[in-house]
Amino acid sequence: MSTEWRFDAIGTRWEIQTSRPLDAAERETVARTVERFDAAWSRFRPDSVVSALGREPGAVAAPPDTVAMLDAFAEASAATAGAVNPLVGASLDALGYDAEISLRAGAPVAAPADWRRLLTWDERMLRLSAPAVIDVGALGKGRLVDRVLNAVGEFGDGDDIVVDASGDLTVRGATVRVGLEHPFDPTRAIGVWEVCDQALCASATNRRAWGDGLHHVLDARTGAPVRTVVATWAVAPEAMLADAAATALFFDGGAALCAQWGVAWVRMLSDGRVEYSPDCPAELFTRGTTVEG
Amino acid sequence: MIRPARPVRIGAAALGVAGAIALVGCSASTDATTDTSSGVTTDTSTDDSAGTSNGASAGAYADGTYTATGSYQTPESVEQVEVTITLDDGVITAVEVVGDPTRRESEEYQAQFIGGISDAVVGRSLDEISVSRVAGSSLTSGGFNQAVDEIKAEAAAG
Repeated sequence: MSTEWRFDAIGTRWEIQTSRPLDAAERETVARTVERFDAAWSRFRPDSVVSALGREPGAVAAPPDTVAMLDAFAEASAATAGAVNPLVGASLDALGYDAEISLRAGAPVAAPADWRRLLTWDERMLRLSAPAVIDVGALGKGRLVDRVLNAVGEFGDGDDIVVDASGDLTVRGATVRVGLEHPFDPTRAIGVWEVCDQALCASATNRRAWGDGLHHVLDARTGAPVRTVVATWAVAPEAMLADAAATALFFDGGAALCAQWGVAWVRMLSDGRVEYSPDCPAELFTRGTTVEG
Repeated sequence: MIRPARPVRIGAAALGVAGAIALVGCSASTDATTDTSSGVTTDTSTDDSAGTSNGASAGAYADGTYTATGSYQTPESVEQVEVTITLDDGVITAVEVVGDPTRRESEEYQAQFIGGISDAVVGRSLDEISVSRVAGSSLTSGGFNQAVDEIKAEAAAG
C-alpha cells in the first residue's frame, strides 16, 4: 500500500509517493523546503535572492545550495564549451520567457561568456560583479527534488519514496518503471527505464516544466534554442546531476560529461534516431540498432 | 576505442506484462491511492499525469498513413520535422518522425562516449507497456500539433 500526495509548486505538478500518508506537519515541512528554494533561486520572483542580486550586483550571503549547484554548473559549462551557463536568464528573457511570460520573442541574446569572472561563490558569499539574470534552470529543479527527497526521508519509517516533479523524479526503496515519453506523441514511449535508488531527469526543448520556460534549453553561446537533440533522459544517484546531465546532453561535450560523472543516458535526435550511453540499461523500442565503436 | 557490446535491450520481449503495477522489484509496494489535496500552492487539478492518457483516438478519420510537416517552435523556426502517422480503426498505431539535424558530433567523439545509435525509434503506446510513471515532454508541440491538425484535416476530407 502506498499513498500519493500531489501539489503544484514552482509552476509544475509534484507527486510524492510514500508508504503512509504524510501528516499536516510533514507536508508543511515539504512546503517550506520548496518555498525556501524558490525564494532564493527563482528568476520569476522579483523578491528572490538572485533577482535582487541581478538588479543590484554585489555580494549577498550565499543561499543554501549555492556551492553544490554552481560547482556543477562550472563543470557542465566547461564540458560543453560554454553552452551551459547560469547567466542565461537574459537570453531566455530575450525570447519572451521572461518574468511576465510575455512569450514575445526578440532577437537571441548570448549569455555572458565570462560568467565565471562575473559570478563567484563560496560557502559564505555569492557575488555578481555586473547586472545579469541568474537562471539555475539547467539543474535547479533536480536539486529541489533532492531536497524534497531528503526532507521526506527524514520523516523516518525507512519507506519507499518517489518524488516526481513532472518528469524529474527520484526513487528510494522501490523500483519504478519509467516510460520515456515520445517527444512528438505524449501517448507513446520510446523506451522504458527501471529506476531504483536513483534519479531520472528528462528534458526536451519545448518543455516549460516550471510553467515559465525555465527548462527551455538554449545554447548560452548564441542565445538560440538547440536543434539537433530533441529530448534527453539521464539517470544518476542525485537528481541535480541527472538534471544537469540532461541539459548538457543537448550539446557537444554532454556525453563526455556524463562519462566523467558516471551518468547513464538516452537522447533522441531530431531525425528520430536515439543515442545512448555505453552502460545504458534502458530498454528502447526501435526498429533496428547499430552499435558503433 | 573498442567498447563492449552495449547492454541496451531492444525489442518486445518484456512488454507483455498487463495491468497497472505501481511499484515493482526491490520491494513490493503497490495499490497506490491518490490524494490530491492542495499542498504548497494552489491545486488546479487540471493537469493529470500524462501516463494515464490512452492511445490518441481519432475516430472520425479514415484509416491510412498520413504525413505532414511541422516546424520547430523556435524564434528562428529553422528546423523542419516530418511527422507520419498511421491510423488504423481510427487509432494512431504508428508515429514516425523524420528531421534534418543540423550537425552531428565527430565520429571520434561518438566512439568514445556514445554506446550506440539506433534507427528511428518506434514508439509504443503507454497502454501497452507497464509503466507507473512517464518522463519527458511534448517537444515542439507547436510544430507537432500543427502537423497533426493538417493530418486530421486531410484524413477527414478523405
